[in-house]
Amino acid sequence: MSAIKPNMLDGNRRNVLKGLGLAAFGCPFAAAASAHAETPPAHHMTDAPVANVASVNDKVPFHGRHQAGITTPRPANGMVASFDVLAETPEELEALFKTLTDRIAFLTQGGAPPELDPRLPPADSGIVGPVVRPDALTVTVSLGSSLFENRDWLKPLKPLRLSRMKKFKNDALDASLCHGDLTLQICANTQDTTIHALRDIIKNTARQLVLKWKQEGNVPVIATPPGAMAESARNFLGFRDGTANPDAGNDEMMEKVVWVGPERGEPEWALGGSYQLVRIIRNFVERWDRTPLKEQELIFGRTKTQGAPLDQRNGGEFAAPHYDDDPEGKLTPLDSHIRLAMPRTAKDQLTENLILRRPFNYSNGVTKSGQLDQGLLFICYQGDLEKGFITVQRRLDGEPLEEYIKPIGGGYFYTLPGVRDASDYLGSTLIAAVRKKTL
Amino acid sequence: MTFKTLIGATALTLLIGSAARAETATLDLVEPIAEYKIYVTEKLDKLVEDTTAFTAAVKAGDVEKAKSLFAPTRLSYEAIEPIAELFSDLDVSIDSRADDYEKAEADPEFPGFHRIEYGLWDKKSTEGLTPVADKLLADVTELRKRINELTFPPEKVVGGAAVLMEEVAATKISGEEDRYSHTDLWDFRGNFDGAYKIVELVRPLIAEKEAEFLKTVDANFAKVDATLSKYKEGEGYVTYDKLTEEDRKVLATAVNTLAEDLSTLRGKLGLD
Repeated sequence: MSAIKPNMLDGNRRNVLKGLGLAAFGCPFAAAASAHAETPPAHHMTDAPVANVASVNDKVPFHGRHQAGITTPRPANGMVASFDVLAETPEELEALFKTLTDRIAFLTQGGAPPELDPRLPPADSGIVGPVVRPDALTVTVSLGSSLFENRDWLKPLKPLRLSRMKKFKNDALDASLCHGDLTLQICANTQDTTIHALRDIIKNTARQLVLKWKQEGNVPVIATPPGAMAESARNFLGFRDGTANPDAGNDEMMEKVVWVGPERGEPEWALGGSYQLVRIIRNFVERWDRTPLKEQELIFGRTKTQGAPLDQRNGGEFAAPHYDDDPEGKLTPLDSHIRLAMPRTAKDQLTENLILRRPFNYSNGVTKSGQLDQGLLFICYQGDLEKGFITVQRRLDGEPLEEYIKPIGGGYFYTLPGVRDASDYLGSTLIAAVRKKTL
Repeated sequence: MTFKTLIGATALTLLIGSAARAETATLDLVEPIAEYKIYVTEKLDKLVEDTTAFTAAVKAGDVEKAKSLFAPTRLSYEAIEPIAELFSDLDVSIDSRADDYEKAEADPEFPGFHRIEYGLWDKKSTEGLTPVADKLLADVTELRKRINELTFPPEKVVGGAAVLMEEVAATKISGEEDRYSHTDLWDFRGNFDGAYKIVELVRPLIAEKEAEFLKTVDANFAKVDATLSKYKEGEGYVTYDKLTEEDRKVLATAVNTLAEDLSTLRGKLGLD
């Protein structure tokens, strides 16, 4: 019954490596870099550790039908920053979108910021040096339901399935970490690059945006032994995360899972966008570390060391579980995380309820009780929020893992379609739709 | 005009003949600075007068009267906060907050306005406040005396307007300054007036070249004014918790934008 073939799953991982390779070669800095032998040659990409593949010259194209940062291979660092938008008129919102477009185009493609008179504050924070390198940076812009609902001229254009995130059973949502009118998902090889991008955008949008909350995270770079298949990164509970992710390199699959096309009945301006879900999920790591290994594995439904399904302990990370042979959950408990999330009881679940996960681990500091404040910055994308995350999370409600995790923040957002070319800007279709409506 | 092009245009004008301008800039500022000193002196006269009445009420054990005088007394101090850097020792003893002390409110070192505010609102008592009140009055009196002799470096005065906006953005907009009395809007009034005064003084020097910049700055001050005036009550303002989330956002953005814009004011005047 395994409709998901192992190669379908690991395709994503191969694509990560391939993607980084292509990115490095597509950019003007790449030639110079390889002349200095800083970047390994392309044909070594797949068997070299990802850690050695990443380069400050990795460039992710900014223009396209979709925004970058969704099916783009996930780099080591990520962040979500949520803002309130002040714009009260379509003109002000358009100006904000254009400023964001300008800044993101510059930051993701790199270059030297202008030099100003030293008596003025410098144009750039300078934290990444005098020349901004792309460093695989992507900045993905999404809109929250409040942006639409608080503006009469925008209200009729709200994406159908966009709402304010409601509390799920195990949530303890902190108002200061939830929702927002606009989010930026900022990802790059290094943390400095994500912080630099955030500071640049804040500096240039001070008139329009008020920062509400932000959460940074990272994923470990994996040293894959030569010739071996790349592995999924681990979360802060020590388990692999993202194993059953759909292949982000498979365009047809992404059309089905991630992108909003005409068949979904969304407003026309929204075509090519996607629903973004963000959850800040605290992990009670001290307690987890005091939990027997066997119990940990039963809670997840996978082995801890390899990430193999419990019914195929030696099958490796990408083996598909056969729940049909284990209807009572003797090997993989019925309430284990992976079995609840995707019961595989009907074939359509494998396409209907798929989500594209892009999570990062976070480590913030110490709680008032003297415990580590660590967890998962969970981000996922889907073409239908209801069939995607919301359905999956409802299945997970009440899972045994809840004792060890506590969702405290995040929200639902709509990721804008991409910027087609240099004459286009982020959100142009939305602004055009507003103008058409008010005419 | 976007912020970016604004900066670009300014940079260009400054880069051309900036050295020559630097010398004249300080000279041009002699008059505005002298005028600013008069403004500060007037504010300090008022501060000494009001603090005398305020501390007398505290020492007389009249909690209600002291409470009613707290915010109005602070108004003149908050208006001269742009140059607080010039008397940082007194600023600490007049206006520091509990967070600056290891044992917070319980710390015997915690002085000044906010120590008294804590007593009046939180403890609802003037108990133990007499020495604090005496010290506060002594400090503002000392400040008033000192100001005559104090040199006002132009770059500190002009820069002070931006620094104050930075401070409002970083540690005031949250309502943490007057956390016991929630009289923050009074302070804001003083802060914005004090910062705007500085813009007013240098306005003639940049009116021609920076018309667009001044227009933006004025618009943001106007936005602040309009927002604050919604919360007027009697001679002053309602408590900070009455501020709606929407208006807090408007204020936060105006403050951040003013901080961005005013950070260029020194440069625009050719000051180092």
